[in-house]
Amino acid sequence: MYVLRLLYIDTAVKSKLMDEWVLPESHTKHRVAIDRLEQLRVFLLASEGSKEQSYKLNPKFQKQLRQALASGGAPPKDPLPSNIAVRLPSSAELDSYAMKQWEGVLLQLVSTAFPESSHDISRDRFVIETFQRAKLLDSGMKLTEAGFQFLLMDTSYQLWQIVREYISATEDRGINNVELIRFLLELGFHVVGQPYNRDTLSNTEQTVLEELKVLGLVQLQQGMKHRWFIPTKLATNLATSLSDVSSRYQSDGFIIIETNFRLYAYTSSKLQIQILRLFARIEYLLPNLTVGTLNRESIQTAFASGISADQIITFLQQNAHPYYAQKQPSVPETVSDQIRLWETDSNRVKLVPACYYDDFPSMEIFESVCTFAGDRNGLVWQDSSKRRLIVQADLHDEIHVDIVSTQDYAKSILQCVIISLKGCACNFYIL
Amino acid sequence: MVNAIKGCYIECDIPMAQLIVHMNESMPNAHKFIIHVLDETRLFVQENAVDMIRKKIHEFCDSNTFEKPSA
Repeated sequence: MYVLRLLYIDTAVKSKLMDEWVLPESHTKHRVAIDRLEQLRVFLLASEGSKEQSYKLNPKFQKQLRQALASGGAPPKDPLPSNIAVRLPSSAELDSYAMKQWEGVLLQLVSTAFPESSHDISRDRFVIETFQRAKLLDSGMKLTEAGFQFLLMDTSYQLWQIVREYISATEDRGINNVELIRFLLELGFHVVGQPYNRDTLSNTEQTVLEELKVLGLVQLQQGMKHRWFIPTKLATNLATSLSDVSSRYQSDGFIIIETNFRLYAYTSSKLQIQILRLFARIEYLLPNLTVGTLNRESIQTAFASGISADQIITFLQQNAHPYYAQKQPSVPETVSDQIRLWETDSNRVKLVPACYYDDFPSMEIFESVCTFAGDRNGLVWQDSSKRRLIVQADLHDEIHVDIVSTQDYAKSILQCVIISLKGCACNFYIL
Repeated sequence: MVNAIKGCYIECDIPMAQLIVHMNESMPNAHKFIIHVLDETRLFVQENAVDMIRKKIHEFCDSNTFEKPSA
């Protein structure tokens, strides 16, 4: 609104004047809004000689926005001529297509974790490369700790991470980065389910589209003369901010957990079963139902691969069956507590590679070393009565230098004193 | 002069500390690994013993938990 007010004002507006636009009680909101606009460089601070602050709209932004408003904005990419009879997929079909493709991608990731159960999954070289870049897979095609955690995230987060890696990967392949980002953003603003012409796109965009198809962002179709692409729901995800979409693309929950650690999952998706396999022991596989149990062994394997108890519990909560999701809490307390207990059980012993120091000649040196290590967050333990302390091993070299220099300093002071007291019958214990 | 010893610092609950001390005592003299017992829950041990300690603790925990025999 501030922007619209200022749109056709060319001179700077005094900030005091702007303060008067708002009611006194919403003054803080006003300040936040102004600050944010300033950070975005939409507002420029202009204080020409006068003491009062005044703001001006960024001239480039002003010009573009005026143009956009006046001309109504050009349509992003030419929609398909309407005279072609096209059977468009319904939005439900499109959604399931997108989810199917996306699951396929994730399945490729999971399949590396359980090689014995995945021989029927085709692998896409480009997908695997992206995973390896994102360090979700290591070079030996094994799922890393980050990879395990990645699987339990929600879809929009996963999508963002993959697309980000994808963008950085294309740099190496010589695709123009700017062009790619522009295209991805444009895609985000397309209308879901509407066909857009593919023939007018540049070569780069064509190849990008092929790969986005693998990710399930677009569906490609071919007609007699034309080829077109249809953005899916996942694509619009790209242009929306992360915070408000985080839960929107969750598919319906399917997990029921009983207090006796039995887990029933109403799903036929291979991906979801594989994810469950990460931390549960699967007992029966029925066409639309999977039965498993959570036990110490299965949860410990999950911990060993780097998944934390909280991640398991949030995953179970997010995917709780609708009937159970209404209940509070959706995961029985006995189960979530037990999972947390198992976690603390596996972390009963804390081991820190460290260095032990003792025999400090004076309290000052001891204290100076303590503060030195404390400042670097490396102090593990100290005992001032016996003047001993333990610091992290990687700080040893620095500490060594510190101790030596403090000792030199102390020595030199002592020596000065000795010289000045020469002749007096004093006994000094030199370090 | 200040002494410095490289090693590994262990912090755990009392029973675990006792277990580690017991492990140390059952070792032949040449293989004793505890350098200092700092207090009831803190120990300072040799670096090369860490993997062995970790393994032993794991074994101990496993033998200590009851698993319901699966049907």
